Amino acid sequence: MINPFIFKAEFWIPKFTGIKAFSLKDFIETLKNIDKFSIFYHMYINIFNYHNLPTFFNNSFSYWLYKNNLLPLAEKLSIVDPMEYFDLEELRCSLIKILEESYNKDLDKKIIEPFFFITVEREIIEYKNPAHTLGEFIRKFKKSSINSVFYHLVTSRIENKTLINDYSSWLVSIGENKKAELINKLDVYNMNLYEIKKEIIKILETQK
Amino acid sequence: MIKDYISFVGEESINELFILAEKLKNLKVLHVNSTHKGGGVAEILSRLIPLMKELGIKAEWKVIKGNEKFFNFTKKLHNLLHLCIPTSIESEEIVYYLKTIYENLNKIDTENYDVIFIHDPQPIGLVVKKHPGQKWIWRCHIDTSAPHPKAWEFLENFINAYDACVFHMPEFVYEGIKIPTYIIPPSIDPLHPKNIELSKEEIKNILTKFRLDLDKPIITQVSRFDRLKDPFGVISAYKLVKKKYDCQLVLVGSFASDDPEGENIYKELLNLTADEKDIFILNLPPDSHKEINAFQRGSTVIVQKSIKEGFGLVVSEAMWKEKPVIGSNVGGIKRQIVHGVTGYLVNSIEGLAMRIKQLLANKEFMHTMGLYAKERVRHRFLIIRHLRDYLILIHKTLTYPAKMTFSQFAKGG
Repeated sequence: MINPFIFKAEFWIPKFTGIKAFSLKDFIETLKNIDKFSIFYHMYINIFNYHNLPTFFNNSFSYWLYKNNLLPLAEKLSIVDPMEYFDLEELRCSLIKILEESYNKDLDKKIIEPFFFITVEREIIEYKNPAHTLGEFIRKFKKSSINSVFYHLVTSRIENKTLINDYSSWLVSIGENKKAELINKLDVYNMNLYEIKKEIIKILETQK
Repeated sequence: MIKDYISFVGEESINELFILAEKLKNLKVLHVNSTHKGGGVAEILSRLIPLMKELGIKAEWKVIKGNEKFFNFTKKLHNLLHLCIPTSIESEEIVYYLKTIYENLNKIDTENYDVIFIHDPQPIGLVVKKHPGQKWIWRCHIDTSAPHPKAWEFLENFINAYDACVFHMPEFVYEGIKIPTYIIPPSIDPLHPKNIELSKEEIKNILTKFRLDLDKPIITQVSRFDRLKDPFGVISAYKLVKKKYDCQLVLVGSFASDDPEGENIYKELLNLTADEKDIFILNLPPDSHKEINAFQRGSTVIVQKSIKEGFGLVVSEAMWKEKPVIGSNVGGIKRQIVHGVTGYLVNSIEGLAMRIKQLLANKEFMHTMGLYAKERVRHRFLIIRHLRDYLILIHKTLTYPAKMTFSQFAKGG
């Protein structure tokens, strides 16, 4: 028996941790201990907030470094693709490793603007009427929002501790392995969520 | 009608609002501020309350009353919170403030609500009548990051009885705050007369009524006549641009009859530009929404060269009209403009002039920037996002464990 697919959508409100970093050293030390949902906010929610714009950097850590004239370090952090992680602690370690390898005291002098650590409180809703067949899935997917696409492609992976997104897992369970593979390969970190939605519809409707 | 927003945010986003609000059905929510008309808070509440009601929430909006003495004190408090001026708060003022708060509590029934939003410092004291089980949220719309210690001491008497507080951006939060602090930026309403679509004909009629030449580029700043908006800096930048580009400058705003400083600045600007046929200093009545809308839509480039700024939603209003905005790197302006993508952030008169010239010289680029500017606002600064944030905030606050009431706090727990 195949489990139906329940469409969900994710929302959040940013919550200020009250913590600011005034130097690169402060920033690294804070990153070591900050609530992991702060890393989630700055690395993942940032994708959502700016997905429709060709921004210079796609995470807020890199953008802060860039604004403070630490361009090489901004670039080094920007290449860390959060979609290659499902464990926020592992992501935290990768970020700290890069920062510590590049750190020297002179860089602290360049910081002009502090970094404000934000975390999030999330709310997940379920759509009515789950999808039982591929046809139903396609119809309901078309009516889902980008908050829903974001949840299933991005944060469901963190909740389920897997690199496979929700859509692909379910498609595999109904034997649609090729579609599942193509969806899982989409570059969520760099693409516009509206474009991703279109791309997924194309894969669902055309790919055998 | 909430369905009227479908064309801006999509049907799925509106449907999600109804799902989010299901758990809040029949919840009684009260918003209290200090004025029915004028200012951004009243404007947004007049739009948000009917939308909340449509979602099944029993939302209401009430306004505190007070005489001149009361509002002189709250004005002073407001100034002390974000302008750290060298003055203090007298104990007699505190007594009078509390007296007025208790008078208001006889008229405003806060008892019968589940969640109470208090907007800005003026009504903050109403929390003295908090009842067990109620959730009180302080929604602060101003920058309190560097307050006068006495002003903060005064607020702190009340803040800790609140369950949560909300600011526009983390930069506005004073580090002494101990209660949960959320970040919810303000928003614009695409259905407000100052933001609705206008036909080319309507725009043309309004601009020509003010004798603008539609064949020349128009650079506009919309703001009240205030030195903090740096209208003189805008004129200096315009003069640098004018050397190469035959363009026009519009400084459009208003000053109230009780704002002598605004009137003085307006007159100074008129004198300074008396011989400049391409500079237009326009003082319009405060309800000139359609005219402001037309000026923004008819402009080539919009600027906002504030020296200090709150959130500066006028930036989003212009961006919504597909205009690239060049703004100062201060306050909420830097949260709205994505530098190099939806406009530019600048730090000087020269920087402003350079960016204006860059845009005037690259029309296609300017057009693309304008499209990104509108997308930025659609995604982050429309009222529907604001409403959704409030729904989540209410959800979250309701799950907090019961907190002490003000009187329990005052008794030391």
